[in-house]
Amino acid sequence: MIKFENLSFSYPQTTEVVLNSVNFCIKPGTLTLVTGASGSGKSTLLRCINGLVPHFSGGTISGKISVFGSNPIEEGPEILATKVGFVFQEPEAQFVFDIVEDEIAFALENLGIPREEMHNRVNQVIERTHLADIRRKKINNISGGEKQKVAIASALVSMPQVLVLDEPTSQLDPSSAEEILDQVVSLKNQLGLTVILSEHRLERLLPYADSMIYLAPDKEVLAGTPQEILPIMQQVPPVVKIAYKFQISPLPLTVEDFPSKEIGRKYHLEQATPIKAPEQPQALIKIKNMNTKIGEKRILNNLSLELHQNEILTLLGENGSGKTTLLRSILGLLDSVGERLLFGENMHKRSLMEIIQHIAYLPQNPNDLLFADTVLDELKVTLGNHNLNRDDAELTQFLEQFNLGDKKNRYPRDLSVGERQRTALASITVHDPQIILLDEPTRGLDYHAKQALKEVFVRWRNVGKAILLVTHDVEFAALLADRVAILDDGSILFDGDPRIAFSQFQTFMTKTAQIFPQTNWITPGDVKFRPKRDV
Amino acid sequence: MKNTYSWVLWLASSLLIILSTRNPFYLLILLINLFITGQQLAKRENHPLWALHNFRFLLTMLILSALINTLFTHTGRSVIFSLPENWLLIGGNITYESLVFGLINGFVIGGIYIAFNIINLALSIKQLTHLIPKAFRPIGMTATIALTFFPSIQQRAREIKEAQMIRGNPMKRISDWVPLFIPLLVTSLENAILLSASMTSRGFYRQQSESTMSDLPLISLILSAFMVFSGWILRMYDYPKLISILLYIAAATIIFLTLFLTGRRSQATQYHQEIWQKKDILASVLFIAAVLIWNLVKYYNLIPSLSYSPYPELPFPDIQPAYIFFLFVPLLPVLLQSDD
Repeated sequence: MIKFENLSFSYPQTTEVVLNSVNFCIKPGTLTLVTGASGSGKSTLLRCINGLVPHFSGGTISGKISVFGSNPIEEGPEILATKVGFVFQEPEAQFVFDIVEDEIAFALENLGIPREEMHNRVNQVIERTHLADIRRKKINNISGGEKQKVAIASALVSMPQVLVLDEPTSQLDPSSAEEILDQVVSLKNQLGLTVILSEHRLERLLPYADSMIYLAPDKEVLAGTPQEILPIMQQVPPVVKIAYKFQISPLPLTVEDFPSKEIGRKYHLEQATPIKAPEQPQALIKIKNMNTKIGEKRILNNLSLELHQNEILTLLGENGSGKTTLLRSILGLLDSVGERLLFGENMHKRSLMEIIQHIAYLPQNPNDLLFADTVLDELKVTLGNHNLNRDDAELTQFLEQFNLGDKKNRYPRDLSVGERQRTALASITVHDPQIILLDEPTRGLDYHAKQALKEVFVRWRNVGKAILLVTHDVEFAALLADRVAILDDGSILFDGDPRIAFSQFQTFMTKTAQIFPQTNWITPGDVKFRPKRDV
Repeated sequence: MKNTYSWVLWLASSLLIILSTRNPFYLLILLINLFITGQQLAKRENHPLWALHNFRFLLTMLILSALINTLFTHTGRSVIFSLPENWLLIGGNITYESLVFGLINGFVIGGIYIAFNIINLALSIKQLTHLIPKAFRPIGMTATIALTFFPSIQQRAREIKEAQMIRGNPMKRISDWVPLFIPLLVTSLENAILLSASMTSRGFYRQQSESTMSDLPLISLILSAFMVFSGWILRMYDYPKLISILLYIAAATIIFLTLFLTGRRSQATQYHQEIWQKKDILASVLFIAAVLIWNLVKYYNLIPSLSYSPYPELPFPDIQPAYIFFLFVPLLPVLLQSDD
């Protein structure tokens, strides 16, 4: 059993209390979902379980923690290593060795396990995590999902009773994320593990969760079953949102639990208004028969696509389908063959500097862009690069649309994940480009941060800009897409109505579409109904 | 050939041969053999561009070395052209001899680089850490991490550079590179902290924290340094040589014993066991034999053709066919592989 009693913690050199008198109890063999906004202290709470907090982090701690009879505050993470396996958010950054098998064996070497037993345990864990085919491969050459599996195997090899995972699927595409979660659940059942897992996208995890811990904005930490915790939360997953609309009790947590048939008997479900495409769309970017190779591998294959004014075009596709390559090829960062037109003119003849005056690009990692001392300075750097100048008052006003007006003098890297993402967005668009290319802008963001981003994108679309949004986050994409393109193996598989894309392609179906396949609903906002008189 | 120690012997013998000759023909043969060995390993490790990258490096070294030598060394009789004498440092004759000397140096630097690159291909990082004594495990791990970090930092640097360029930074002046270094430094530090947390939560430092004699290496280091220093001072003041030698031996013994004792206390075990296959033993014996014979023939100056100087007037290098087989030492892993 894991027990927190009156646990309070604050990091060194700050008076802010991250965890304030936390009390909860986790039963053995259960899966607990830890949730809360960015910066609410989820990672800190998880790190208390194996003693990384306070032993690794420093800081002031009070209260008691008991993890299957051990006291992490007294014993520390080195001793807890045999009881608690820990998987961090970014798998790449936690690897010590370059070969899969060597990485998995690392914990056992530290524990001084004899070689023969080590080989047995490594073989067992490799079999359980289905890594046999890649056990001798270099970690650099495997996919993101496989890397996360290696991280899980490395944590499990010391046969811990507890497995802690800090946002393990935030960097993965939906199918890899599903696979990882399935594996975690199956390992939990096979080995009787106690699993504690933090995640923003609750819709993925609720089906598996036995209990929930919610770190509320007022620093209160609430624990209970999902049915007890969800009604308290400000932002809930789509299934729960829809259940609220129909006032269903007890709350269904999964699509399978949702009483769709009963709802169909009681209510007339009204079709949502179709998303209208502009009648004579003006193509700002036109790509025709684009072919791009990276090394010897062909990534884009005769790809054709248009991006129109006043439009948010969402580009979906599995990992490795060529989404990021397409964005980089449009900008000319990768050599490509085929027609590439910007405002009807050939882009091949233009320099990168000319192209970026009209096209902004947000890469996957916003930290790549941020280096200045203040948010305001970030904007000035971009303006300086384009030989433009604006006074501070104008820039502050510009920052207001990103809800960053009060953060203008803050060091960008000290901001929350969502604020950093918006600072990066502001810094790439301050010179007012007409086209904006976005690569996974919602990665690692909570519901609030996504909502703030959505507002910015919709405002841009309404003033005539064209946005090409690459994302795995189908729930977010369904909220704002005017058109959807699906990329498969370097070619466009589908290009058209979001209602078709999010309801008819199994991989990209939103939860709303899964619950109501007979309607054209794709988001909880589409749900409209009236009671049937004869019921 | 898979054994770590066999590969280390390969590296030692290859480097010894590369560094002992300035004969351009011999160096060319050595380089070709290194490329063949490297290419075969690169094929196995799925690095299709290995040969191209190494050839590019070699070419850069040849150009740089030749350019620097011709511009700054003005000896030699075969003048290509002359720069005005009053030009600081570079003024004077530009000669074929200095050009050839520069090229030879480029061959040697390129050869050393390629040999180390081959070791990188042949051995995993884990195998490299086997070479570090157990007592130095934390230092060994640091070196390992540095090696693992290097490719990921290169990748991050590329991504950040691209991100800054699309923000309008031309990346041409030195000041333009500041936006690259700051995110790179911060990301690397963040990753280092995360890695350290990951290692700690997997029991690293466990054996160190349980140690009771943690001051022993420091005391031994101070003591042995004092002995070496004393031996050196006594030699300077003409004290009997034997006293100094005894002090040096005592210092070496203290270091060895400290390593042995500290290593024995380390709890950590090793996942892989070094396996000596017949080919590894054969190759190791051949490498050791090559080193011994090579040193012997060099001592008796049986291969005068090894040394070559283009000055004062470009001579044609001598070739002694009887000793050419030494130049095939770097190719031995391939020759043994072909028997499979």
